[in-house]
Amino acid sequence: MLNYNRVPGLVETREGKGETTLVVDAPRLREAARYLRDELGFNFLSDIAATDYLGWGGKGVSGYIGSAGGRDLNKPSTQGLQRLPRPKPRRFSVSYHLLMLRAGAGTRVRLQVWVDDAEPVPSVVAVWPTADWHEREAWDLFGIRFDGHPNPQRILMDDDWEGHPLRKDYPIGGEPVRFSGEE
Amino acid sequence: MERAVGLTTLEKAVAWAQTKSMWPDTFGLACCAIEMMSIVSSRYDIARFGMEAFRSSPRQADLLIVSGRVVHKMAAPLRQVYDQMLEPKWVIAMGACASSGGMFNNYTTLQGVDKIVAVDIHVPGCPPRPEALMEGIVRLHEKVLAGVPPAYELHGVGC
Amino acid sequence: MAIAPQRPRIYEGTRIPSPIPSVLELPQELRTSDDVLTVNFGPNHPSTHGVLRLVVDLHGEEVVGLAAVIGYLHTGFEKNMEQKSWWKAITYPERIDYVSFQYNELVFVLAIEQLLEVPERATWMRMLLCELTRIHSHLVWLGTAGLELGAISMFWYCFRERDRILDLFELVTGVRMHTRYFQAGGLAEDIPPGFFDECAKFVEVMPKAIDEYEALVDRSQIWLERTQGLGLLSADDAIALGQSGPVLRASGVDWDLRREQPYLVYDRVDFRVPVRQEGDVYARYRVRMEEMRESVRIIDQALRRMPGGPWIADDRKVVLPPREELHTSMESLIHHFKIVTEGYRVPEGEVYVTVESPRGELGCYVVSDGGPKPWRVKFRAPSFVALEATATCMRNALVADLIAIVGSLDTVMGEVDR
Repeated sequence: MLNYNRVPGLVETREGKGETTLVVDAPRLREAARYLRDELGFNFLSDIAATDYLGWGGKGVSGYIGSAGGRDLNKPSTQGLQRLPRPKPRRFSVSYHLLMLRAGAGTRVRLQVWVDDAEPVPSVVAVWPTADWHEREAWDLFGIRFDGHPNPQRILMDDDWEGHPLRKDYPIGGEPVRFSGEE
Repeated sequence: MERAVGLTTLEKAVAWAQTKSMWPDTFGLACCAIEMMSIVSSRYDIARFGMEAFRSSPRQADLLIVSGRVVHKMAAPLRQVYDQMLEPKWVIAMGACASSGGMFNNYTTLQGVDKIVAVDIHVPGCPPRPEALMEGIVRLHEKVLAGVPPAYELHGVGC
Repeated sequence: MAIAPQRPRIYEGTRIPSPIPSVLELPQELRTSDDVLTVNFGPNHPSTHGVLRLVVDLHGEEVVGLAAVIGYLHTGFEKNMEQKSWWKAITYPERIDYVSFQYNELVFVLAIEQLLEVPERATWMRMLLCELTRIHSHLVWLGTAGLELGAISMFWYCFRERDRILDLFELVTGVRMHTRYFQAGGLAEDIPPGFFDECAKFVEVMPKAIDEYEALVDRSQIWLERTQGLGLLSADDAIALGQSGPVLRASGVDWDLRREQPYLVYDRVDFRVPVRQEGDVYARYRVRMEEMRESVRIIDQALRRMPGGPWIADDRKVVLPPREELHTSMESLIHHFKIVTEGYRVPEGEVYVTVESPRGELGCYVVSDGGPKPWRVKFRAPSFVALEATATCMRNALVADLIAIVGSLDTVMGEVDR
């Protein structure tokens, strides 16, 4: 088992479903990234996933909730699963999925930072060059700025597109469809 | 003499020639392109229609098979390729995405390629089977043989 | 036999361009030269696999500057999936990587299934179908790569077997492509009778077909000259650039998710992982050919060891009950109603699941808020990352090599743009 206690800027460690999530302070992300790569050996950055939590827990999340083991009639009907989702610290989370690529000993960890709108995140292109396009995508679709990125341009949308499409306050667009239950 | 010489009108002869060697343009965009490639393969064999010569240059192509989802960023190159084709030219919108946007009713997908080019035949399916695309091509040939003008003369863009 | 060109095989140090890792910039001495021509490859180009645009600076025939522009197929999958229920959202991922479609379904469904127990039969069948999809993907790659390099007849040979695989898919699922057969909890329907015999016939035919493909090009001098020594990528550069799959294994790194972090039942079948050291286009070609042979072996073992039993999990809150029960059981009726109208719910949490797709590590990051719709789904597409490596592989390349190198990275633009 790896010891994550000395990761710079570590705020919280979460374990769940066989995965470890290390939440670090955004300004110290580059140090934490270098520590993980050089000291602990996470040499492979698999993915950078940004998520927008605007409206989290707002609608449609309580009620009939399923479980793997079936229902126990002696417990109240929601079996304790009925709770609103835990509130999140900031609006955006940026998750870096890291992998220690060593035959026979591969390990995964998720490095996570939380930022608000217009708060920049240090770029890790100097640590893992593959972060180049992932960070451009996060900028393009979410509007998260990465400080120190050598080429911060839109990558998937048109160069003159306005807005950041995957934010929750950006409409789905398209044409309205009559008689359809979806929006 | 009727056994050795055929008599016809000029329009019918020209239409017959157009249908027998209507060369498509390589405009494969997404999943439908893979099924379009499989009609070139030996089982479905589009060469029997004289169409296996997919031209890379739009100036040498007669038919534009838009196979796949067209997004706003790609709409300008699509229109440019269509403009570079010489008349007479036909367009087949292959698949649900090219015909109407398919399952992608969102900010980035064009809801039907007939918003920017004049489409002759829409082929439904996601993706359409190679036989379905061939049915579309055969119907296009029937249209041409019957004397129906191409879509840009008939109804233009937006239908 | 003519002498193969004396090209370097693998390099020391790093070739990743700086400061921007994915853009090869003009060298200083050529910036004021009149001899540099900027050419646009694509987005509508017969040899870039799909709508990829490469802005290339050419000095004569040599490529001195390269930048890849993508986004011409960005369909907004992720935002669309947030609008649909979990069940309906499974239809979307297939079209992301449309050549190995079942892998995308698999990775999304595995992410949802962190909470369910899936029966054995479904797991073995999923593995069998995924290996068939791997062969399908490599066949399409080989056919089109051959076509682009001038070995045109390869296309027809590969697509002959590809149609056999699609016949098998049609036999099982009813559709040739985009089968939508994997469900959260197992398979949508039981495996129809007659499939195992047809699949066994395929397993006999396929190794001979692979021999035919190799006989076509493997000793052809033109093929060897056009693929050996090109597109070099060292192991360290490949890891730094996030490469995975055949590109990584052709650079000498022995890493395959099926063996290292097994999912489905890969830990119970026997297969080799081909690795080569040269890091060039020819090495990637050989790795994929070997992988096709190994996939046939896996399919053979799965056919012989397929267990009987149910094909989908029993949890009625997630899986529709069988129709006969709707006439007799009130709970089944209510479950059916709830699942069809509202959809099942996935408990709150986030999970990142990876599988070894034919292109590399395909990952799916799912965030659920406990509701009936996904909150966020992000797909880690291996082709997106592979295109970042074009600038590194394209050093000292000629125009004709450009096509060979981009082809060897086996990119599918649906994945890149999503």
